[in-house]
Amino acid sequence: MSQTTMVRPAGGTASDKIDPAAVLAASRPNLRRRLTNQITLGVVILAVVMTAVPLVSVIWASVERGSARLDVALFTNSMRGVVGQGGGLLHALMGTLLVTGATALIAIPLGLSAAIYLTEYGGTSKLAGLTRRAVDIMVSIPSIVAGLAAYALFSLLFGPGTRSGLAGAAALAMIMIPVVVRSSEEVLRLVPADLREAGLALGAPRWRVIRRIVLPTALPGLTSGAVLGVARIIGETAPLLLVAGFTDAMNYNLAEGRMATLPVFIYTQWSSKGLDTAAYDQRAWAGALVLMAVVVVLQLGARALPTQIAKIRRNR
Amino acid sequence: MKLTTGSKTAALIAAAALTLSALTGCAQNEEPADPGTDNTSSQTETSLSGELNGAGASSQSAAQEAWRGGFASAEPGVTVNYDPVGSGSGREQFAAGGLGFVGSDAPFKPEEAQGGQGSCAAGSPLVEIPVYISPIVVAFNLDGVEALNLAPTTIADIFTGKITNWNDPVIAADNAGTQLPDVKISPVHRSDQSGTTGNFTDYLAATAPSAWTFGETEEWPLDGGEGAEKTQGMVEALTAGQGSIGYVDAGQARALSWASIKVGAAWVAPSAEGAAKAVAESQLESGRGPGDVVYELNRTTTADGAYPLILVSYLAACEKYEDANLSGMVSAYFKYVTSEEGQQAAAANAGSAPLTSEVGLAAKVSAAVERIGS
Repeated sequence: MSQTTMVRPAGGTASDKIDPAAVLAASRPNLRRRLTNQITLGVVILAVVMTAVPLVSVIWASVERGSARLDVALFTNSMRGVVGQGGGLLHALMGTLLVTGATALIAIPLGLSAAIYLTEYGGTSKLAGLTRRAVDIMVSIPSIVAGLAAYALFSLLFGPGTRSGLAGAAALAMIMIPVVVRSSEEVLRLVPADLREAGLALGAPRWRVIRRIVLPTALPGLTSGAVLGVARIIGETAPLLLVAGFTDAMNYNLAEGRMATLPVFIYTQWSSKGLDTAAYDQRAWAGALVLMAVVVVLQLGARALPTQIAKIRRNR
Repeated sequence: MKLTTGSKTAALIAAAALTLSALTGCAQNEEPADPGTDNTSSQTETSLSGELNGAGASSQSAAQEAWRGGFASAEPGVTVNYDPVGSGSGREQFAAGGLGFVGSDAPFKPEEAQGGQGSCAAGSPLVEIPVYISPIVVAFNLDGVEALNLAPTTIADIFTGKITNWNDPVIAADNAGTQLPDVKISPVHRSDQSGTTGNFTDYLAATAPSAWTFGETEEWPLDGGEGAEKTQGMVEALTAGQGSIGYVDAGQARALSWASIKVGAAWVAPSAEGAAKAVAESQLESGRGPGDVVYELNRTTTADGAYPLILVSYLAACEKYEDANLSGMVSAYFKYVTSEEGQQAAAANAGSAPLTSEVGLAAKVSAAVERIGS
């Protein structure tokens, strides 16, 4: 931060050259320019408001309808044995954290390695081009297709109809890997070539330059990229519905048994209601509120982590 | 300035992490109950444990929730899961293997029920029992009109697009004294394959064969009209659309107005009792095995108070499983579902009609359930 030097335009004497008559002559077009400026500003502000309205409305609706169930019981109970009123989403919250954690453990190393290959080794080679294209295609894969792929894979490996948290993580990893590859590649590209060349000139082997110079320099950007990737997959419903299934009970075992997650919890509460529909609606909205809170915490984390890392480094 | 916001967010994350870690551990409602106070049927001969997975008809999902809830306290070691993926996919998954039981609005075909299902031990026939009996209501949304009388032919004509306005003389003739507004009728049907559609079209085909020529079908046979996904989609379409009419499982349609249908010469409003009576008027389908209790529903009954526009949903399982533990869990769960307690729990949460004991059905059903794992 301290290394950046402020560049000031060297036009300190420009005001000396202004001719008062020319200013007067230009005043009419100037008025038109100001008017255009004002109108454009108005349009842009309107666009901002229109973008914000759905967001505010979603948050407002969730708070209004979900706050009735935002109590302690919501965070200390599962839905096992609960009929109608009561119950909670602890099982779904834990499921979401476990599945998302497992997804990150799969996707971040793989995605980062691919990005390192693309920026440091691949260059313009055929394999690198192919990888880039594959990543582009993977980004646009509908999430349900990722779910089906994971479902087919786990059915082949562990018998038909196998559902588990791990299968869910595998499906989500397919969605998250391209996000991580893309963001990491961008960040690694920003590391100045001079740094790499300096390292290589001092006789360091390539892997050491990557390990000691490239990665540490890019670390803040890599972290926020990874967290944004997590935020991308944490709200996925369709693939989890298919491969992680749903259960009312706690399940801490990723490898065996169905595992509830927050998006699927919201969906099932909405789609299969009993006679007392209000209880199900409230749980669904409270679930949405909790999911949004988790995403917001992640986003804040993504923004705070780079500064924290920089701070720790400076203090060292 | 940047640093302070940074540390603030860091503190926030730390606080969130703390809260979460404090919450890890078992859910309060899953902690083992005090054995001294628990006097439910937990004194079973062997205590079962494991995961029992089922899938199928979404119409059963509210009832399944009630059964899971009751069963959880009876068998604390067993976790029952039910995916309301629809009858068709449920039966497919069951045939492919890996399911403990399946819920279906339409029974398996007789030859399918004799064996060859992937989830069963080789050569094992199926056990099929009716567990969920519920009226299907013809629900509508029309300002100022709370109740309507609709004859089967009228219903068929509305859904085929022959009657397009609520003030049509055909409707008015059956509803003397009701002020029918000049509003366009917007019929809503299920866009997904659905057992509710199957029962609705079966009823129309049996009671209004001249007006409804499409027979019984789980997929809506016509192009026009508004389509809605799943029961909840139907309820939402009906709630939102003025002048709309549709068909819904009664338990999910409490907030809507219900039409009475013509049975014989009388107008009958939907009710669980009427549904039970219509089942009592029906015969068991012949040519099926002893564990295969399937109804041939009598849609044209004229019995007093019977409401023949009903849905009978079945649970199916295997007589024999490869896995003895799975067999024990299925048997215990089916026993609970068909018990008086289980049926009452479903009635309270889903608004279904409990299995009536009068027709000797309960005896047949429990005999069928006894075949599981025997």
